[in-house]
Amino acid sequence: MRGLQRAVLALGLGLLVSMVVRFLGGDATPPSTGGWRELEGPELR
Amino acid sequence: MTAQRIAVIGAGILGARITRELLGPRAFGREQTVGVTTLSRRPDRLTVLRKSFGNEVQMLSDATGSARLDADVTTVIVARAAGEQLEVAREQLMAGRDVITTTDDADEVRELLELGPLAESLGRTLVVGAALAPGLSCLLASHASELLDRVDEIHIARHGAAGPACAAQRLRALRGTATDWRDGAWVKRPGFSGRELCWFPDPIGARDCYRAALADPLLLVPAFPEVIRVTARLAATRRDRALAPFPVWFPAPTEGGIGAVRVELRGERDGRREWVVYGVLDRPAVAAAATAAVTALWVAAGGAATGASGLAALGATSELLVELALRGVRAAVFEGSQGSLAAQNG
Repeated sequence: MRGLQRAVLALGLGLLVSMVVRFLGGDATPPSTGGWRELEGPELR
Repeated sequence: MTAQRIAVIGAGILGARITRELLGPRAFGREQTVGVTTLSRRPDRLTVLRKSFGNEVQMLSDATGSARLDADVTTVIVARAAGEQLEVAREQLMAGRDVITTTDDADEVRELLELGPLAESLGRTLVVGAALAPGLSCLLASHASELLDRVDEIHIARHGAAGPACAAQRLRALRGTATDWRDGAWVKRPGFSGRELCWFPDPIGARDCYRAALADPLLLVPAFPEVIRVTARLAATRRDRALAPFPVWFPAPTEGGIGAVRVELRGERDGRREWVVYGVLDRPAVAAAATAAVTALWVAAGGAATGASGLAALGATSELLVELALRGVRAAVFEGSQGSLAAQNG
């Protein structure tokens, strides 16, 4: 019985930690080159 | 002297901003002389708008659903919530008016496109989905296509929502079934599937985007008959995904924060595989309102063909984008090697 309780507790803690990590995951790797540039007048025509 | 009038049906976040956009002194390089009427089912909302616009705008209450627009109204913008625009559009077409709808509900867009033969028989124009996405996304796709000899793929991604109704529609779309165009056939995929990391204009940056029940492919495929793949995705967080099965406990904010749309085209140019990525960063309500307003002004000036279409098939891409840029809704292009490599490897 005690073993089962420990297993359930371990599973619960694991789930909790995995959810925290998943929800608070860091930013994605930014592109190493490139960027956004506004289109100028002639480019819109 | 006001020769004709444009009516905005709906006075929520989007309707109010469209009204403001229509009041600009100039449009398409000419003096803007079109009058504006705003029709709403909520008298309290009209009172608020009356304080803001004064006598510049004719306010019409439609609390009982029996209000009728004046005969000088030639063009109507439907700015009601997505899913409530079909009947209004049909009614106004039957009344002999050109109609611009702002819905992003895929089912409603499909039904609106089916009104094409009716609009054509009446000699009227029905523009479907003139907002941020669809709408501005279609304009960007149309403009980007001019840089390619052949367009094979179009991929749209959107981040953000305009007002509470738009936020609710965003959640419905994420929980719905996506319709992608693949190899000449429509393919149904579950919402929240197909996670893809998309880079939006700064400061939004990289966001996870998922399939959702979006209308963009329905409007882009008719405009690009040779296209092989068209997809549309919505940016969402892991929290959105985890909480998707549960009811929404907290209402959406009055107006969402900054949003963006990203349009990626892949195809061929001079026999080489090429890609073009365009984006726009703005408050979704502002960009959507400007798109709807300039479209209505263009249609009211008599520049559009009859029948039903999205903005990519309207034939006024450059004119509308230039006018939008003058109003502060500026498109940007992504320049870099990452996307290029991705496209070549993809």
